[in-house]
Amino acid sequence: MNPSKIEKEAIDKINSIEDLQELENVRLNYLGKKGSISNEMKNLASLSIEEKKEVGKKLNILKNSILEKIESRKISIQNSLINKKILEEKIDLSLPSRNYNCGKIHPISQTIDKVIHIFSSMGFNVVEGPDIETDFNNFSALNIPPDHPAREMQDTFYLTDKKKNEKFVLRTHTSPVQIRTMLEKKPPLKIIVPGRTYRCDSDSTHSPMFHQVEGLLVDDKSTMAHLKGCLIDFLKDFFELNDLKYRFRPSYFPFTEPSAEMDIAYKKINDVLNIGKGDDWLEILGCGMINPRVLENCGIDSKKYQGFAFGMGIERISMLKYGITDLRSFFETDLRWIKHYGFNPLNLSSHIGL
Amino acid sequence: MKFSLSWLKEYLETDLDVYKIADLLTNIGLEVENIEDRSKELKPFTVAYVKKADKHPNADRLKVCEVETKNGTFQVVCGAPNARKGMKGVFAPEGSFIPGTKIILKKTSIREVDSAGMLVSEKEMGISEEHEGIIEVDNKYKVGESFAKIFGLNDPIIEIGITPNRGDCLSVIGISRDLAAAGAGKFKSQKIPQIKGSFDSSIKWKRFFNKKNEFLCPAVAGVFFKKIKNSESPEWLKRRLLTIGLRPISTLVDITNYITYDLGRPLHVFDADKINGNLTMRLAKKNESIKALDGKIYNLNEEMVIIADEKQPHAIGGIMGGEESSCNENTTNVFLEVALFDPISIARTGRKLDLQSDARYRFERGIDPNSIEWGINKACQMILELCGGEASKITVAGNYKIPNKKISYNFNKISTLGGIAINKKDQKKILESLGFKVLSESVNKSIVVVPSYRPDIDGEADLVEEVLRIFGYDKIQPKSVKKETSDLFPSINSKQFTFYKFKRLIASRGYFEVVTWSFMSSKLSNYFNNNSDVLKIDNPISNDLDIMRPSIIPNLLESINKNQARFFNDAGIFEVGPQYQNYTIEGQKMVATGIKYGNINGNNWIDEKRSVDVFDIKSDIYFFLSSLGISTENLQLEDQAPDWYHPGKSCSIKLGKINIGYLGEINPIILNLLEIKSNVCAFEVFVENLGQFLSNRTSIKKPFDNNPYQIVERDFAFILDKKVRSNLIIESIKRTNKELIKDVTIFDVFEGKTIPEGKKSVAAKVIFQPKKSTFTDKDIEDLSKKVIEQVCMKTGAFIRE
Repeated sequence: MNPSKIEKEAIDKINSIEDLQELENVRLNYLGKKGSISNEMKNLASLSIEEKKEVGKKLNILKNSILEKIESRKISIQNSLINKKILEEKIDLSLPSRNYNCGKIHPISQTIDKVIHIFSSMGFNVVEGPDIETDFNNFSALNIPPDHPAREMQDTFYLTDKKKNEKFVLRTHTSPVQIRTMLEKKPPLKIIVPGRTYRCDSDSTHSPMFHQVEGLLVDDKSTMAHLKGCLIDFLKDFFELNDLKYRFRPSYFPFTEPSAEMDIAYKKINDVLNIGKGDDWLEILGCGMINPRVLENCGIDSKKYQGFAFGMGIERISMLKYGITDLRSFFETDLRWIKHYGFNPLNLSSHIGL
Repeated sequence: MKFSLSWLKEYLETDLDVYKIADLLTNIGLEVENIEDRSKELKPFTVAYVKKADKHPNADRLKVCEVETKNGTFQVVCGAPNARKGMKGVFAPEGSFIPGTKIILKKTSIREVDSAGMLVSEKEMGISEEHEGIIEVDNKYKVGESFAKIFGLNDPIIEIGITPNRGDCLSVIGISRDLAAAGAGKFKSQKIPQIKGSFDSSIKWKRFFNKKNEFLCPAVAGVFFKKIKNSESPEWLKRRLLTIGLRPISTLVDITNYITYDLGRPLHVFDADKINGNLTMRLAKKNESIKALDGKIYNLNEEMVIIADEKQPHAIGGIMGGEESSCNENTTNVFLEVALFDPISIARTGRKLDLQSDARYRFERGIDPNSIEWGINKACQMILELCGGEASKITVAGNYKIPNKKISYNFNKISTLGGIAINKKDQKKILESLGFKVLSESVNKSIVVVPSYRPDIDGEADLVEEVLRIFGYDKIQPKSVKKETSDLFPSINSKQFTFYKFKRLIASRGYFEVVTWSFMSSKLSNYFNNNSDVLKIDNPISNDLDIMRPSIIPNLLESINKNQARFFNDAGIFEVGPQYQNYTIEGQKMVATGIKYGNINGNNWIDEKRSVDVFDIKSDIYFFLSSLGISTENLQLEDQAPDWYHPGKSCSIKLGKINIGYLGEINPIILNLLEIKSNVCAFEVFVENLGQFLSNRTSIKKPFDNNPYQIVERDFAFILDKKVRSNLIIESIKRTNKELIKDVTIFDVFEGKTIPEGKKSVAAKVIFQPKKSTFTDKDIEDLSKKVIEQVCMKTGAFIRE
């Protein structure tokens, strides 16, 4: 036996093969049960220990070498087969993809989520109440007696439960939830109330339904300084402005005393509102220290407790933040509009967007 | 409330310009809504002298004028017939903006003659429609004098929004007082002489109320004037009224309007010759009516205060006088009324009659009770001065001397409530400048007397506001509100979490969020149920929005056709919001409602076109619930859903006994009624019912079970009755061995030729995994046998060979 001769012969054979089955045949010829190298292996039994050791070693080297050559030839044949196949598989990737449907979140939801996020970082809890309210919760308890001119500030929708002969209103603001909360829970209270509100009014700048967010803080120490701080911090965060020009103007709400309205400055550049600086003012919210009469109406001792309340229009701050110009469009179910102004559902409201 | 700067200066000595005054007004809570200052735009226009006016060489009707102005002499071509040598007119220089025509004047050449500037007409100045000739000014005016000044157009007009509490600022005097307190200048209080009547009034006041209704008109006073002359008002009075948009009528009427705006004191004058006997304040009788000054007839009721003589009503008390006894140019004898009314009664009457007036506006906001006295005197002074005649002694009914309100005030409240330290001296100064009196000097407990014209002042908090608004809200240093240890728990509860999270889950499955009205039309709702229990709005904004929506589905369906016209042929739409079953708080349910319509794959080239079906919706629902961490294992789908769903393709979704919602195809009957051509599938999920099933939001998870044993899968095909629900197969299989069966899915459902009539073939794939050691062939055989046994027993199926 001449191992190097056999090896050379085998390699020549293997390298000339182009077919996997032929390659397998070659493998069997050398290394199969009846293969030539296998036969040589069997012959080892007849040799002396010394010879056995020497020949066996040579045979093993030969065997491994051939096996290795076969494996590498195998991969090379497979590769060329695959290559041949895939070269015929060229497709037109410029064709459109399968549909991917990504929905959108309405700007009102996006705004409310953001508002909740900011106030929750100041320790406010979210509370809600019903849209169909009693006159007491919506007006009287808030120090707006019947026939008071303040009622004319808000055009009210009414409903009548004919079975029980009871009158209800569609809440004209989220403030009745202040009353519900104070009647139910003891101070300290720190709540915000986002929700739907209704006024019997419809034109280009008024919608019979809109959204508000109410805030209420009751404790034994918060002052107008905290009211200002809370709202300034909120608006800076909401509009993502370090530098926000604002003002608090005295105003009137029956449920707060002292009362204020907060304006923020703006500047119109090429018909686009620039919020936070400039010489013109935009009214953004109403607020004040809770009127002691309201606290007393809810059974809270106004000598011991005080606090502040505020309310703002969600659509309004949403329009200012996102540059939406038409109030009515929020409710028009125009999918082109939602697609344009809506938000990807993964676009979250946290500070870093995660 | 509108007033001019010159009017304001009657009560306020100030050097501030209108813009500074406006800023101050806004800062003290009298929000400026508009400033009309024509002096700016009219500044370029001045008096000019026409030195020469010669015929234009190339035009018959034109003249070439040489005009002397304050800036030199210019040549102007003019077409006005009245342009002539020696006249004085108003000159508009080159480059000025002509307000009437809204153009900027340019140097030009008219028929080859240069013309620089213009002599203007009234129309060009925007003061009238007069365009026949140019404005001529009296020779006494000098070249260069301001046009605006000569024509009284240099008086800026300020309009402010008065909040309902500040009735006292519905007068120029009230506004002046506030401004003076805020440092705008010195308040000029005026002295009104006491009237001394020379005879007794032939008309006396009576009040006719029972005791409990006397508050409706606590007091009324009157004066009789004889031999007066009611002609046109003097120029200054007419101009004052005109600048704030009031039409001058006659001196008497103009005086009442003037006092209303000047002092906030509405009053009324009756033509005394048209009054029969005395005048009585009383409640109207049933079926009484009155023709008011606005020419309309108002039907009165027994809650309304009226002023009547022995025959008929002559005024709706505090709101409007009657036409019958109104004053005109022939009036010679007049009876003046100055009364007090209950604000609430005025508001109610006014609202019921749908009648607004300057008097009502002031009375319902509350006026100074002392104004009976000074109101009478002021009116007398003006009437006698402007109309002549003689005044009677005052006739009075009722009591108007109401003691001033006193409030106990702690000066420290400014810091404990207002959050700013202001010393007592400064606070006292502010209060006194607003007309308050501070009685006791102690810091902790002073007595503050409220002026009679401030009925809105109710307690300490109001005094804090008074001091702060004058001192300046801007001086309060903001303090941040921080999260405290007491509010570290989550800001939203699990119900709210579900409500807000659900929106994002739905949107992530390709749906667009919409927000629709909480109302809908009863007509549309009638298609959905028989309107038995709908909640009707008493005063809907329109008939299309007359009930509270009992479901969100109709609102969503209504948007389909509209959006298909906008090329959204296939889409998903959703709203998470309220729907209303009854008037109670429990009757309002928060529902996540979604629809999908059209093709599920849209119109692409690669996938087979397929209409949306209930299994698309079912997959969405399972995605939503499992994303919330609710186990979908125990969901039960039952064949019962509202009528707006297809009865054969819909179900309710339950977790235990709790109804979570519905899903299904929309009933084709509804689609037909709404003329919707696409197939529509929908879901409704009661999000508030889900809160209780949320897995605890803790971070700890069960340990991972790294089972190393080989997984085995076996397929089984059963033939069973068509009516049997396939889910029963899955459940039966799972029940055979909860430990070793990892998963059961149905991978084929087949009905047809090879299957007996009324039967179906359902093929299930079962995944087994041993717990302790690898399965033997026998183990698997035993398990399979049990599976077949169970399914056949529970469902009446037989195994398909």
